[in-house]
Amino acid sequence: MSRRRTAALPTPVALLFLLPAAALFAVFVLYPMATALTYSLFSWRGTAQEEFVGAANFVALFTTEPYRSQLPRAFGHNALLFAGAMVAQNTVGLLLAYVLHQRARFRRLFQVLFTMPYLVSPLVVGYLWSLLLSPLFGPVNALLRAVGLDAVAQPWLGDPDTALWVVVLVTAWQWVGFPLLVYGAALGALDPSTQEAAMLDGASSAQRFWHVTLPLLTPVIGTVSVLTFIFSMEAFPIPYALGGSSGSPAGATDVMSLLFYRTAFHSGASNAIGVSSAVAIVLFLVIVGVSVAFTRWFRGVERRLT
Amino acid sequence: MSRRITRATASAALVALTLGACAPSADSPEPGAAPGQGCDGDAVALDVWSWRTEDVKTYDRIFDVFEEANPCITVNFQAHLNTEYDQILRTGLTGSDGPDIAQVRSYGLLQPLVEGGNLEPLDDVVPALGEFDDAALDGARGREDGAVYGVPLATQTIQVWYNTAIFEENGLEEPETWDDFVALNDTLLEADVTPLAVGARDGWFVPTVHDALTAAQYGGADFQQALRDGETDFTDPAYVDSIQTLKDLQQYMPDDVTGVAYTDAQVLFTSGQAAMFAGGSYEQAFFQEANPDLELGVFQVPPPPGSALDHPVTPGYADGNWGLSATTQHRAESETLLTWLATPEFGQLVADELKQFSPIPGVEYADPLQQEMWDLYQENPAPYLLLVDYRYGDPVGTDLMGEAGQKLFLGDTDAAGAADIVQDGLSAWWTPGE
Repeated sequence: MSRRRTAALPTPVALLFLLPAAALFAVFVLYPMATALTYSLFSWRGTAQEEFVGAANFVALFTTEPYRSQLPRAFGHNALLFAGAMVAQNTVGLLLAYVLHQRARFRRLFQVLFTMPYLVSPLVVGYLWSLLLSPLFGPVNALLRAVGLDAVAQPWLGDPDTALWVVVLVTAWQWVGFPLLVYGAALGALDPSTQEAAMLDGASSAQRFWHVTLPLLTPVIGTVSVLTFIFSMEAFPIPYALGGSSGSPAGATDVMSLLFYRTAFHSGASNAIGVSSAVAIVLFLVIVGVSVAFTRWFRGVERRLT
Repeated sequence: MSRRITRATASAALVALTLGACAPSADSPEPGAAPGQGCDGDAVALDVWSWRTEDVKTYDRIFDVFEEANPCITVNFQAHLNTEYDQILRTGLTGSDGPDIAQVRSYGLLQPLVEGGNLEPLDDVVPALGEFDDAALDGARGREDGAVYGVPLATQTIQVWYNTAIFEENGLEEPETWDDFVALNDTLLEADVTPLAVGARDGWFVPTVHDALTAAQYGGADFQQALRDGETDFTDPAYVDSIQTLKDLQQYMPDDVTGVAYTDAQVLFTSGQAAMFAGGSYEQAFFQEANPDLELGVFQVPPPPGSALDHPVTPGYADGNWGLSATTQHRAESETLLTWLATPEFGQLVADELKQFSPIPGVEYADPLQQEMWDLYQENPAPYLLLVDYRYGDPVGTDLMGEAGQKLFLGDTDAAGAADIVQDGLSAWWTPGE
């Protein structure tokens, strides 16, 4: 405590040092935020701002077509992307991290390999997979047919029942390195004596994982879950590469960012800027609201477990 | 830990918001304008913006012709990435360092700029506009005042491309009647060739295929006029029949057509695995580049019995205009350039150098295939209906037909249901007759 006090700068000097960062934050974060908010409160004629309309753009978003039916549909797809990512991305990431943690040999190599797709642009990943999954030329179906699994070969991206899950899996394929690295670091930081104590008490390896390791990872699981939620809500490049701006087939892969994109830049509607800004604000509020609630709840869980 | 999460949450979520606010425009430095030979005073540099990054060199050559005739004006042609162009242009035209003249979109996507007062009406500025075809000018009109806000740049036509070698191998000829068309599809199917290369995974491509195959069946320009007059809507039996025809022709398309991408369909056709491709005139450059040995032919699909029209048609649409910025500092020079952009001299350069159809009267095409497509369009033009009249609101007609067509191909709806999807969607902002 005392050391911290001596290290502290006099308040005016501290404020001076904060100024550059605060200025950058204001110009590049606060200003665009405030702009989007004000845009959503006005009516627009093309690029010209007209009069203040209060919440009318938001009311339009929830009561008029096509938004009334497209907004819940897109939001539902974002929620499924999140649920899918929790299973296909974070759970798999945790298991891989755990397995790699047990075996030091080749750990680095596999960490790098699993993290590689992370470094490629998501648009490129999306187009790559759309080529791999093509029903005409794609090697995935060709491989399935070659080993006699003809019944499993699907028009993966052409069937509304499978298309969204393809988006989930491709996203997981790209991002699995993220939970892998975070969980790997957390596992490395755990005190090995707790493991040894559990072992001396005769706990099996499964018991040690469930009752010792997992509870100790709770704070990290919380962080990864919240970040996954945010990424899932903002998903754009992979759905766009796999299903186009209208969420093909037949809207099965439509998500909030695509709805925003279509509303803002794809229609000739006069009030496009007003309504699309309202979409952005709604998305922002959902992300902040759910993330804060989620964080609070997880803090409670954490306290009970530790 | 929790505070860190909250902070991470906040900063990541902000990304969603910054999406909502337009990014500031790229700087467009004003290069020093050196007067050409024969110019006594100072030269004026005009900034001209475009979304055709692939055509920069060609446009520089084209504008050299203009600069030679107008030594006191230099043209500074700048192209921006197609996918980002609309945002950049909106910011440029509302700010201070925008273009003097810009390529602007046609029909619905032109309206935000017209309504925002960013473009000048050109009816009195460019007298030559009076000689343009109405169908071309429709793409440049303001929705509310009907004034022309751009000099039409290009026209696209939609027809069926075919591989002449495959036709010859199977003893086939361009169809004269609907029965011929069905018979040749059957022959190709028996010969293990995919008759129609269609990719319905890309929603935007579905209405193109629909109009290429069935525009004459629902009545082409007559149906467009009936909709404008409020005499019918998209649930019209003729329109439903045309959608049924699309469904009937699905057997000649690749299996799982909703999983086939537009680019897959292109490859299917250029690699000789499919015999026909229902698509736009803009495909020609790609087809010839992808397979230089490909011998191409085009035809219009004859209408089936009981169609609204007794002759085949070629749907077409205006594709881009030259607009005049309302905030230009060089009004007189910009008008000189716009006037030149409406001359047959420029139109011929569009045809010869850019390989596009120019709507300027009197242009001729050296490529016989291009000339044939243009002649077919001139003989029996039709509108690419959902793009031409139904992109003035949200949702746009082409997106609706994309979704309806995908459901139709998947068997999730029938022809009448697909027509309902289009009609119900459009009714959010469109009432027949208005």
